[in-house]
Amino acid sequence: MSFRRLQSWLTGPRLLTLGIVCALAWSLSRVDWQQPIAHTGGGAAALKVLLALFPPDLTPEFLSICVVASWHTLAYAVAGMSLAVALGLPLGILASGVLAVSSDGHNPRRWTLMVAVRFLLAAMRSVHELVWALLFVAAVGLSPMAAILAMAIPYAGILGRIYAEQLQVAPPEPIAALRTTGASPLRVLLYGYIPMALPDLLSYTFYRLECGIRAAAIMSFVGIDGIGFQIELSLADLLFRQVWTLLIFLVVLVVAVDWWSSRVRRSMAY
Amino acid sequence: MSAVRPVRTGEQVATPEPLITIKSAAKVYGNNRGLSPLNLAIHAGERVALVGPSGSGKTTLLRLLAGALVPDEGPNSVSINGKSPANLKPGRELASLVGIVSQRFDLVPHLPVMHNVLAGRLGHWSLARSILSLVWPMERRAAQQALARVGIADKINERPGRLSGGEQQRVAIARMMMQSPLVVLADEPVASLDPARAEEGMALLVGLVHSDLGHANGDGRSSERALIASLHTASLIRRHFTRVVGLRDSRVHFDLPAGELDDAVLDELYDLGDGYGDVEPLAGLAARDG
Repeated sequence: MSFRRLQSWLTGPRLLTLGIVCALAWSLSRVDWQQPIAHTGGGAAALKVLLALFPPDLTPEFLSICVVASWHTLAYAVAGMSLAVALGLPLGILASGVLAVSSDGHNPRRWTLMVAVRFLLAAMRSVHELVWALLFVAAVGLSPMAAILAMAIPYAGILGRIYAEQLQVAPPEPIAALRTTGASPLRVLLYGYIPMALPDLLSYTFYRLECGIRAAAIMSFVGIDGIGFQIELSLADLLFRQVWTLLIFLVVLVVAVDWWSSRVRRSMAY
Repeated sequence: MSAVRPVRTGEQVATPEPLITIKSAAKVYGNNRGLSPLNLAIHAGERVALVGPSGSGKTTLLRLLAGALVPDEGPNSVSINGKSPANLKPGRELASLVGIVSQRFDLVPHLPVMHNVLAGRLGHWSLARSILSLVWPMERRAAQQALARVGIADKINERPGRLSGGEQQRVAIARMMMQSPLVVLADEPVASLDPARAEEGMALLVGLVHSDLGHANGDGRSSERALIASLHTASLIRRHFTRVVGLRDSRVHFDLPAGELDDAVLDELYDLGDGYGDVEPLAGLAARDG
């Protein structure tokens, strides 16, 4: 192959692929292959953890603990998400700019507000819920409220951002038609943008509720009860069979939310 | 090149003052001429068909009338009932002056038909009423009557996304009944419908401004209204319109009583005239998108 042909073959995507492959090869060459990946006895420990799955701890006493823990985790997730939606939806609407634009042009004050809200949303979601939790524990102490607020703030930031995008991609023709009926931006939002984006808005909210359940489960260290707290206790006692039971409950919880979400989405389809 | 036909005025109506006056309105987009300086007077009660090849200025003219575009000479060169649409802020006044039915009907697909129809009232309602109506529909009776008039009373709780094209157009017409503007504009309103649906749709559209069908609100303004629609089908124009204005190269090419529109006139209008060959003038479906 002549150099010329090589040059024409090696365009953007191929060049990028080659670069990534080289970087991967270099990073593999830097690994010290003499050291075992797992520490001594790690393999045996992993096997022990795995074997504890057969069977998990299914005693009635422990199952009742699991049910209560799942209930608490779900309750925290739902409380945190409710607050996140209550904050995220209005912020998302402001960030989308749909109120700032009407058929007679931009409203400069609302435009400024839109930019400000976008910054606020970015700030809210750039800090992880666990970091927010640490801050709230410092502020309000070990309380369920700290956990709920810690979850609601970054989640509102994420929801607001996604809601804004989902509102922006609404088809423009029905929106224009609503404007010609004399509807103000707020009315166009209620009769056009929100109905058209609703299936997407709901779908993403449900997905975030799943994430919220995982987040609520690991909030145990700020002192709230739930699946994560129980996992911590069982792990401390090396009761891996109980850990598996709790993990199964967590999976069931997430799958149940997924099932509920798909049922709601199906009823929304037209 | 074909000779330009002398401009003849359409059916004379007894009303002395025209409802719509367009005085040398033009619109230029960059190097493209959307509309050359154009004069047109339309009286209440008239039903005007706009014909002409793509790019001849039909849509530009409709958008000028809707107030969506400002004429280059300033907003005052277009006047409807003494007001310049481009001067009016979007809202109640503009909405009761002009309304548009588009080719795609532009309904909100997820919102039940009831609310799509009631959306015609949004310019008239207070914000509180608009919000409350989503939960507890206001003027439900009027919406039901409008839907019954267009023959789809049974679809009131359906979502428009589930309706056929013809049914969607009926919903759009029912919404226009609720909006109840003086001038109804329609941009290729039947282009996406089969001939039978197109005939029915056009009859309903005409009903918006014609006293035979009356109005959802029964405000007795029917004879004061006007309809201006762009379309390509000669038979529909002869049956449903009083006047036909032919646009070509963004100028008025002819202005005739609709009854005098024959195929030769249309052939000449649509003729590309410089070696592109003949274009089928009566292709009502030619403008169909996708």
